[in-house]
Amino acid sequence: MSVIDWRINQAQNQMIGTIASPFYQQYVDGDSWVWACDVDIGQDEPLRSVPVASSNREIIYAELGKSVLLTRMNDGKWCISGLSKTCMGREHIIYMTFMDDLGSIARESWSGSLTRLLTLGELGDLGPGAFGAIPLGAHGRFAPDGTFIAILES
Amino acid sequence: MRVLPADLEAAQEAVVRRPAYKVLAFDRSQDSISAIVSGQYAQEPFDLTAYCTDIKWSPDKLDFTLSDPDGLFHPDSGVHRAYVGNGAIIRLLEGDQAVPETSWIYSFTGFIRGQIGWNKSRRNSTAMAQVAVFSRENNQALKRRSITSKKYTVGTELGIMVRDLLSTFLGLTDAEIRLPATLGLQFKHQVNQIAQMAPWDAISKLLETVGKVPCFDGDGRITFIDKNLHRLPDRVLPDSTRILDYQVPARNQDTINKVRVISLDSQLSRVESPYQCLGNAQVTTGFFSMGEKLPVWWGEDKRQRASGTGLIVKKSVNSGLLPVGSESYREVDEFHGEIKVSISCWVPILATAMLVEYLAMAAIPDDVLTFGVGAEEGITIPVGRILQAQAMIVIMLIMMSMGSAQYEVWGTPYDYAYLELKATAIVDGLEYWEENEKEVKNDFLGSQDRVDALAMLELTWEVSNANPRTLVIKDDLALERGDILQLPDGRKFFISDMSKAVQRGAVPVLSLQGFKVMTA
Repeated sequence: MSVIDWRINQAQNQMIGTIASPFYQQYVDGDSWVWACDVDIGQDEPLRSVPVASSNREIIYAELGKSVLLTRMNDGKWCISGLSKTCMGREHIIYMTFMDDLGSIARESWSGSLTRLLTLGELGDLGPGAFGAIPLGAHGRFAPDGTFIAILES
Repeated sequence: MRVLPADLEAAQEAVVRRPAYKVLAFDRSQDSISAIVSGQYAQEPFDLTAYCTDIKWSPDKLDFTLSDPDGLFHPDSGVHRAYVGNGAIIRLLEGDQAVPETSWIYSFTGFIRGQIGWNKSRRNSTAMAQVAVFSRENNQALKRRSITSKKYTVGTELGIMVRDLLSTFLGLTDAEIRLPATLGLQFKHQVNQIAQMAPWDAISKLLETVGKVPCFDGDGRITFIDKNLHRLPDRVLPDSTRILDYQVPARNQDTINKVRVISLDSQLSRVESPYQCLGNAQVTTGFFSMGEKLPVWWGEDKRQRASGTGLIVKKSVNSGLLPVGSESYREVDEFHGEIKVSISCWVPILATAMLVEYLAMAAIPDDVLTFGVGAEEGITIPVGRILQAQAMIVIMLIMMSMGSAQYEVWGTPYDYAYLELKATAIVDGLEYWEENEKEVKNDFLGSQDRVDALAMLELTWEVSNANPRTLVIKDDLALERGDILQLPDGRKFFISDMSKAVQRGAVPVLSLQGFKVMTA
């Protein structure tokens, strides 16, 4: 039964993610290229170089932090097939211990990240130099507890 | 747990038990399953008991051998073939000879699917049929067709939707439903609907929110298995008198040690995009256009929303020689703003005055200077043209000051989206590569508290499931799947499956498959 569940999970053909880089031209061979970007799917490492489904103008004009729908292609790769009405949230992780017949909560934490506009104060503090090194409107990635993780390119 | 009549309960407790049973068959063409389950049927059920041997019972399936020397149940020619034909309803009635039949209980209600296996052998001169009867939930019609329910608004009890689905798509009457009218949970989303799901999946998904799994009981009524292990035992075995065997079977499967539950928040969350140019506008001003109002939309389809918008003047109307007007911006609503360009009133007045002056000055004659009396040559002194040129310079100055202006509106586009609510319950101390995950998706939960609760319940269930036990006891008609037994040593045992062989003159030995209960 578990094996069947695993197979079903493997066969899932849609998931949501968040755009984590500007769109760029990805050369699949020497000549031809497709629009692609990195997508945050809630894991430690973003999904890299995810191509955009053909002729999808609205996606190419989507910006960092926008929630997108990913669809698995026939070859198993993921592509961005549209904008999503749902977006990834934080994840509450509950660690449990089971001793004899009793289970109890050992500890709790939150995972995931939050992408938001940098405040004026953060623009001054987080940049490599003085105020002005990071452009107004830049986005940052933060841990659920507010800890700064990274500045996103825009 | 099934509540037994007091006299049957007492008979089960007696030192000497005289168990009895009947196998009853119903012709489906005469009465519906609803009528039979609710006791409102018109036909006299056919008693198969005398023909039945080798009866094997489980909640899902009833198997028995039908001795048929006279060919009464032959699928082609049997007089009583309608009672074992496709769709015939078979019920197992169990009790004790010490109590009247009215106190007996139905421990199985199900259908015959397809055709029974009937065999007549010349070698031993026997004729018999193998009959397999399946419980009501083992019905593909509940699991294959797709349904779409009506919508239910926020605040509606989930139990109401469950009842509607049961009556509309499963055709169950109130007498066939052994579920509580309310589940203690209300919808959090504005619109709630089941779309393109199998009816059984839809019921399962709704009951999943409160940790329950639907099933049919021995009476043929829909009920549930409660996954909540943190409840009092249904039956307490004070001593080992009834227990015949207790086994800890081997289990060679990986254990689920991580459960992730995903739901959708009932509230929309605002999702902002980077600060950017939302739109632009340009205008060409004229002498007599006193002002222009330029609407700027944030998106081509006029549906993009934005906040914190402001005007950036790329080229002003006052970038000429003279300041000829003013420009302002206001955000009309979340979808668009308006740029207003006002031309100062002196511009048309002055332009008009200068035009009039230009015309008037044209009427001033020039002075003429001649060189003496009778001279044929002379020059004019351009008094009027100088005054005319003066007016023209002013007009041209105004013209040169006015021209086109270009503007951009910048702001932060935003939209609303449903946030995913996630909770992961995981056994503490696992390394990353040891995780064996199960994912549950249910959009009816609607709040983080519920998502958390379901994740912990499912993990406790899975961890308990990893400790299978088998308990063999003397038959207890009150027990059902999902019951919790308390063993004499105080440990709890969850019944996930049951089976027994029913035979005449002997107390059936009930084999209970389940697991050791862990509570959290």
